[in-house]
Amino acid sequence: MKLAELQRYFARAATTGSGPLAGLEQVFLGTKSLPASARLAIYNRGYFYRLLDALASVFGETKRVLGQAEFERIGLAYLAEHPSEHAALERIGRGFADQLRTVRGVPDAVADLAALEWARLCVLVAPDPHTVATAHGIEPVGFPSSRLRFVAALRWLELDPWALSAFAGADRTLSHPRTRQGVVVWRAGHLVRHEALEALEFQALGSAANGASMSEVCAVFDSGAATEDAQRAFRVVAGWFSRQWVEALH
Amino acid sequence: MHRAAGPQQALSQASQAPAASPTGSPVRVGFGLRVPHYDVILQRGVRADFAEAVSENFMGRGGRARSVLERVRGDMPVALHGVSLSIGGVDPLHEAYLAELSELATRIDALSVSDHLCFGTFGGHYAHDLWPLPYTEEALDHVVQRVVQVQERLGRRLLLENVSSYVEYRASTLDEWEFLSELVTRADAGILLDVNNVFVSAKNHGFSALEYLRGLPRERVQQIHLAGHSDGGGFLLDDHGSPVAEPVWQLYEQAIECFGAVPTIIEWDERLPELDELELEAERARTRASTRLAANAAVAR
Repeated sequence: MKLAELQRYFARAATTGSGPLAGLEQVFLGTKSLPASARLAIYNRGYFYRLLDALASVFGETKRVLGQAEFERIGLAYLAEHPSEHAALERIGRGFADQLRTVRGVPDAVADLAALEWARLCVLVAPDPHTVATAHGIEPVGFPSSRLRFVAALRWLELDPWALSAFAGADRTLSHPRTRQGVVVWRAGHLVRHEALEALEFQALGSAANGASMSEVCAVFDSGAATEDAQRAFRVVAGWFSRQWVEALH
Repeated sequence: MHRAAGPQQALSQASQAPAASPTGSPVRVGFGLRVPHYDVILQRGVRADFAEAVSENFMGRGGRARSVLERVRGDMPVALHGVSLSIGGVDPLHEAYLAELSELATRIDALSVSDHLCFGTFGGHYAHDLWPLPYTEEALDHVVQRVVQVQERLGRRLLLENVSSYVEYRASTLDEWEFLSELVTRADAGILLDVNNVFVSAKNHGFSALEYLRGLPRERVQQIHLAGHSDGGGFLLDDHGSPVAEPVWQLYEQAIECFGAVPTIIEWDERLPELDELELEAERARTRASTRLAANAAVAR
């Protein structure tokens, strides 16, 4: 066998969940006390349980809610379908929340909890911004047409409110899906924080992140009461700057 | 943009020895940075001659990881140690990975850059494991070419660590130490000798650990790793979950005798103790190595 073929064979033996391959002993050396199949099984166990540990370290609250056995069952199925695509181990969880949405019997709110935990991981490891913009440097003339670029350590997502309380450890009975809520996740110093946003602020944030100009972002708050609307838009946008969510205004 | 360097330039930028130990010992010691210790490290730094950072835990990252690295780097040299390069793999090397590694190594002026002699990718996916290679001429040619490619990309010498293994290929025609020696010589690379891995693999495959050490080119061994292992029931498991075992300390002393005062890192991943204990383990390495070197010097006199 050539190198590429040997590696494919090894990888299949180490990552298959369906038991040992035929002909292992022709490819690998073993001993009476530890045959080749038992030796390959060490790698096979190591492969799945290392990745499962990585999932558990990211989705700790989701695991708590699902329970150890269910988390392991779903996790192993996920790993078999989604081998790692990133050099950093914890990135294995990228599609886990979406996978949970397809599992019969797992409520969407639990998948939302996983999505929150994934967003928190992404924020935790995101690169630092080159600069952080402040409101002081804003040019009034150019402000309406300017656009915001947010820091990498910022995520926003819509969740069932149950996911927020479950993350906080205050599990309430999960009855039926509730209206989803906009949540923002960001890094303050070294700490990852998340917070529910009012619907209009969440809409404005999404609009700004999609490249809308500041006049378009502020128009989200238009209710016909010009003074109050302007004050509200100002408070919201100033809050983004003060929480260091904005990398640049351009 | 990082400028690639030729082999000679790479030689001149080979891993430097960490600065002289404040204890006056000829042996520089340190340990790997681990997440559970980050808060303590940010508070008081680490007590060592140098530290080791797992490259993938810091590549492209900000926040606490970056602060920890900057804090430690402010006090001492930092060696970068990768786990996902897959130098022996048949998948193409990942340019994005190399770019991030190069940026990190440059930013912290890394003492050295190392990874494992193994493969860990398959069909475009990462195994997050250190899978053994068949030790064949074909594999040797393949890995030499990839090491040269990586060294040119990074503009520095790469150190390659021997992995612990549990299975061998029937196709192998070379012993592991022959393969490693030939590889680093032809590619002008260095060796990160993991003494625990030599011990574990020697037990698992029934070869002589001492023959392994004696088969390596002395001038290429530039760093040493030490770690704990456990009994897996019929085999030894390299789990980094306990203090260095006494037979491994003895093998370490033999390695020091073979290769001199090589900078040494303690690795500990499972059942991680407090930072103080890790620092003590590194001091034990210093003591074992210094004692052996002193005894040899006395005999020579």
